[in-house]
Amino acid sequence: MTTEQHVFVSGASGFIGRSLCLELARRGHIVHALCRNITHPFLPQHNNIRFFRGDILEKETLSAAMEGCVQVYHTAALAKMWCKNTDDFYQVNVTGTRHVLEAAVRQNIHRIVYTSTCGVWGPTVKYPMSEDDPRIGGFPIHYERTKYLAELEVRKWVQSGLDVVIVNPSRVYGEGPVTDSNTVSKMVSGYLKGRWRVIPGTGENVANYAFLDDVVQGHLKAMLHGEAGERYILGGEDISFNQFFGALARLSGHKRRLFHVPVPVIKAYSRFEKLKSALTGLPPHFLPEFADRLNADQKYSSTKAITRLGYQITPFAEGLKRTIEHIQNH
Amino acid sequence: MNTQTALVTGASEGLGKSFAFELAGRGFHLVLVALPKTGLPELARYIRINFNVKVDIFETDLTASNSCTSIFKELANRSIYPGILINNAGLGNWSWFADKSISFYKTQIDLNITSTVLLSRLFLEQPCRPEKLYLLNVGSLGGQFIVPKKQVYGATKSFISYFTRSLQLELAGSGVQVSLLSPGGIHTKPELLVMNHSLKGISAASILEPDQVAREAIDGLFKGKREIVPGVLNRLMVFLDHILPAMVKTLIIRKKLRVILKQSNP
Repeated sequence: MTTEQHVFVSGASGFIGRSLCLELARRGHIVHALCRNITHPFLPQHNNIRFFRGDILEKETLSAAMEGCVQVYHTAALAKMWCKNTDDFYQVNVTGTRHVLEAAVRQNIHRIVYTSTCGVWGPTVKYPMSEDDPRIGGFPIHYERTKYLAELEVRKWVQSGLDVVIVNPSRVYGEGPVTDSNTVSKMVSGYLKGRWRVIPGTGENVANYAFLDDVVQGHLKAMLHGEAGERYILGGEDISFNQFFGALARLSGHKRRLFHVPVPVIKAYSRFEKLKSALTGLPPHFLPEFADRLNADQKYSSTKAITRLGYQITPFAEGLKRTIEHIQNH
Repeated sequence: MNTQTALVTGASEGLGKSFAFELAGRGFHLVLVALPKTGLPELARYIRINFNVKVDIFETDLTASNSCTSIFKELANRSIYPGILINNAGLGNWSWFADKSISFYKTQIDLNITSTVLLSRLFLEQPCRPEKLYLLNVGSLGGQFIVPKKQVYGATKSFISYFTRSLQLELAGSGVQVSLLSPGGIHTKPELLVMNHSLKGISAASILEPDQVAREAIDGLFKGKREIVPGVLNRLMVFLDHILPAMVKTLIIRKKLRVILKQSNP
């Protein structure tokens, strides 16, 4: 890879964007990191990273930050469970993506990697989902719906000749800050502090866990080897809640008694939380559409990324061990 | 009963796709019909692998003159005799009468009305039909509430409603269960996801996810319900419609119309 390339990254304070900036900087690129607040505590610090105050909803800030760049990574998104103004999901995830693509055209960017999510597929049935599989249910979760609409937007631009590669990470965990949008970090950190005490339902439901370093490398590989308009699932191992907390107990050395809470109980609680948020505007701890998801598996296959991009998966036990150590030391 | 086959039209997207998953989940074999290049082979492949049922597909335009007949001819050739037919394919519109082309309305009527009638007829007269038949026609709550900008769509759904109710009378006691599905708003196509997004309050709350509509519809069909209105809020609206005096309803619609006119001519 040629060094000293200027590369634009949106979402530099986000879980993926932050690590991606650091890796690009380490490889000798000059990173143009877009952030709404250049004093944000989670921003990555490196001599090759230049911060540009901006917002994907403010078009003019994008062109300025992209000036002189050849590549764009668009990782910025509203990935929270809940937002006071529901329209924010559409604005940030769809309109914001359109702004980034428009700016990329103006700045003659050669190639863009767009960070989508496995949430565009959502729940799975028997076997892990791959890229050509259909979505089974509707889109009750705002984040998933707007990320899906953003993918449609991206494909429209690809048809008109823009070079965009889509990557779809699954549930990302790893050595990063404990943020609102990152549920795995919240579970691990809560468990270590003795505050996380529940396993949803039987604990047998499976989700796919992607290690942050793998996902970051997957982004770089997609930039290098990806095909325009194609999607690549960047996942990891399919793990049940029971396996997850089993591994967490074993690797951290903290054995805590966890309680299985039946999904209907969680659902009832989430309904109360939804009502609470509707009445008070306070963020809910949980919402019914997420409670429903606890009944379904979310298994994804990274085979396409492995064969076409050279994507590699860190074993879950090793990734989790590093995550635990990171959270303990920070 | 679980080795029966269900035929679903408009199966590649939205509610039709949800019907396919719902029926596959209950162990039925499927015959899926949709336009070419809508991802039908991928959908069929996914369902075969994950649900372990047989799936036959027809990538065809139901408004083409012989397509309905040839589907049933081909099914008979393959010795497939569906016991369930879901007339789901339909074309909506939300536009002033003058804004759509002549050919659009022709296609809309051919799809929503003609294909439903022809497929129902072909389904009922199958030579080796299963003893019990289930026919579900997808109407719309819009077929009951008359609103502007849905002139032709609403009228096609009124047709479906009359057609279905009349068949129910004809076929009573014949071993054919005929049900009418009258859904309100559903989050289906991307355009609707965007449009529904701007709704607020009761209008937003009454919009359902397609998997819920499909589940309630299939439950209702097998329970022998004549009309299925999915969603509590929608059922409440139908109830209000029955008890409110005509004068009050006219007032509400006039008021609503004024808002719509204001939106389009600011």
